[in-house]
Amino acid sequence: MSERPVPSWPGDGPGSWVLLCYRVPREPSAPRIAVWRKLKRLGVAQLGDGLAGLPADARTREQLEWIAEEVVEAGGSAGVWLARPASAAQERELAAAMAAARAAEYQTVTAQAAAARQGSEQARAAALRRLRAELRRITRRDYFPPPAREHARAAVEALARAGQGDDAGAVPAARRRP
Amino acid sequence: MNWATRAGVHIDRAACAWLIRRFIDPAAQFTFVADLAEVPVGATAFDIRGAELSHHGPDCSFETILRRYDLTDPVLWRIAQIVHEADLDDQRYDAPEAPGFDVALRGLSMICADERVLDLTAPLFDGLYEYHRRALLLGRDPA
Repeated sequence: MSERPVPSWPGDGPGSWVLLCYRVPREPSAPRIAVWRKLKRLGVAQLGDGLAGLPADARTREQLEWIAEEVVEAGGSAGVWLARPASAAQERELAAAMAAARAAEYQTVTAQAAAARQGSEQARAAALRRLRAELRRITRRDYFPPPAREHARAAVEALARAGQGDDAGAVPAARRRP
Repeated sequence: MNWATRAGVHIDRAACAWLIRRFIDPAAQFTFVADLAEVPVGATAFDIRGAELSHHGPDCSFETILRRYDLTDPVLWRIAQIVHEADLDDQRYDAPEAPGFDVALRGLSMICADERVLDLTAPLFDGLYEYHRRALLLGRDPA
């Protein structure tokens, strides 16, 4: 697979971002935390205090619009903007930071999959279900897939094969980055 | 009655349109718009930012419509869990069907106009309703 730092542009193409600027009241904290969790789950780039961004497409725009609505309902203020960065370098930096954040998540999955191979058959099956779901969630917020994604996939599939009598499970572990 | 929703129908809007036709307004006519400002006069908007029948708090539009129209049918609330997870994927509910519905709807919207997506998904939701109705009566997955 490609080793470029920014593999391919998602959404509406290079330069097209959807931004959410928002201000949520400090109290009560529940809606503020709910908004924070949703933004985290979407994998936004936090561009500043109260400013989050994603590559623009129909889905990301819609998701940020729903969050804007939630902020307003919680007594805050929010707006959704379509924007272009002024320089390509700035955009590359943003994409690289987002890819790095996802890479860290994939590496956690890789490590957990490797650790789970030592468990009983039951524990392995439970870990496999959990890690496959986790991988799916990370992939969904992964707009600039880093190489760590393939390593995580391989580690999870190795876990699926663990205990089946072959030694296939050892291969992806060896491919893991130091 | 006229109803309006955002163009580029996905799971929540397809499910809402089915819900409206089956349980609220059998003669419902749907218009697809880009923005709340384009909703025709007299039409009821749903699943558009700023509309009453839309996402509220943790609810997706399908759940909002169930609440606003006092639809308490437990089968519809089970379908609401699937729609919610397919639309928002926030692990609020256990709905293993959701990722499948999400992909099926995304794929359909790539090859069909919105009106056609509604035509094709209506029998799917009818079937889903019947399946979960039987499951509820039996207390287990129906054969």
